[in-house]
Amino acid sequence: MSGEVKLVGFLCNWCSYAGADMAGTARMKQPANLRVVRLPCTGRVNPLLVLKAFKSGADGVLVSGCHPGDCHYNEGNYYARRRLELLARMLPVYGIEPERFRYTWVSAAEGARWAQVVAEFTAQVESLGRLDSAAALPEQIFEGRPADE
Amino acid sequence: MSDLISTIQRTLEEGADLVLGWTRSATAGVAVPVRFYDSAEAEAAVFDSTCVHNLAVHLPRLKDRTVGIVAKGCDVRSIVELIAEREVARERVKIIAVPCPGVIDVKKVWRCFGYGKKCEDAGGQVAMEGKTAAREEILLAKCRGCRDVTPVIFDQAVGDAESLSAPAPAAEPAGLRERFRAMSPAERRGFWREQFSRCIRCNACREACPMCFCRDVCTMQTRDPHWAGGEIDAAEAQMAQQIRVSHLAGRCTGCEECERACPVGIPLMLLLEEQNEAVAALFGYRAGTDPAARPPLLTFDNNKDSWGER
Repeated sequence: MSGEVKLVGFLCNWCSYAGADMAGTARMKQPANLRVVRLPCTGRVNPLLVLKAFKSGADGVLVSGCHPGDCHYNEGNYYARRRLELLARMLPVYGIEPERFRYTWVSAAEGARWAQVVAEFTAQVESLGRLDSAAALPEQIFEGRPADE
Repeated sequence: MSDLISTIQRTLEEGADLVLGWTRSATAGVAVPVRFYDSAEAEAAVFDSTCVHNLAVHLPRLKDRTVGIVAKGCDVRSIVELIAEREVARERVKIIAVPCPGVIDVKKVWRCFGYGKKCEDAGGQVAMEGKTAAREEILLAKCRGCRDVTPVIFDQAVGDAESLSAPAPAAEPAGLRERFRAMSPAERRGFWREQFSRCIRCNACREACPMCFCRDVCTMQTRDPHWAGGEIDAAEAQMAQQIRVSHLAGRCTGCEECERACPVGIPLMLLLEEQNEAVAALFGYRAGTDPAARPPLLTFDNNKDSWGER
């Protein structure tokens, strides 16, 4: 389980994407593991996007949008927050460490905060390593199927 | 049984187009679901611990009819959630509540007595071809420690108020769920990989689920976007199930039909119970307990919704 971790970021167009852009134009140093996907709003983040990203080889997923109260569409991130929090609690059930997923709020003016979020999150996922489900498979975890109980 | 039959007949007389219930079959191991269209047909109605199905699954497909339905307490919760989701109109469904002793787990029966044997309920004992088992021993997991004996709403009741609030069979001793909870994330990944490697993609979980009413627009099977592949593959099967589980967020009433219907014994309720608990903890919502409720993911509450995110 070596190699660089791959991270996917789902960013809202109006705040976090602009914040990330600002961090870039200000030439703030940040790890380059994160692939950014721009969406109109965190309200567009179907939890399945996150699940599919993990299934397709992402080692961590970051969702970032406008601060609560600042949504360009007034309430998109309020709906998103409920879905994302529930998703965050379901990921460990599927066997994905909670540290591999984070949702956060970064405004268009917070370039420095964006660089910090990315650095923090990358370090957090790096400490866990790659999410290689096949390699993580112990020989025999479960003696007998539930039907045999 | 005569009380049940007369109640079904009364419901038909009072204007129901049909009544969903159970009857005895010559071949099936348990009672079989059936539609009663008139009083004569209703003479064949039965209810006992072999009436395992959740008949609420048929309601979204009978929207244009007035439907009577024989329902256990847990089935009523599914009906209530369907009403809350505007999938079924309250005045179009006539609920016949029955006092439920708990229903049997056919897979446990098969394990005790062999495959496909016909079983009959004789008050506390379930009999199969000369052999008997205590009903408690072979109940579905949901029936042990059931919280839904008393129906949330109903139009007609079979039996008195006392029998509709009889205590449920005692809760099951800690089992698979405790072992699952003790696993590390990596172990859980392996656990699910092993479980879903048995999935044959029959979609029985979806078909048996009263809340899976999208039918031919099911996201588990869309090709554009291609959320989950259709092949026999543990990762694709798991993705498909994750789709179903997330679409049941705040809607699953825990009726356990998916797990009962699963022909390969994947413990799907582990996923759904964890999610139901998370929904209860986050939003204080228990699906199917209030027909006027707003499903939790279709709304938000600025004053309460904050879980320490940064």
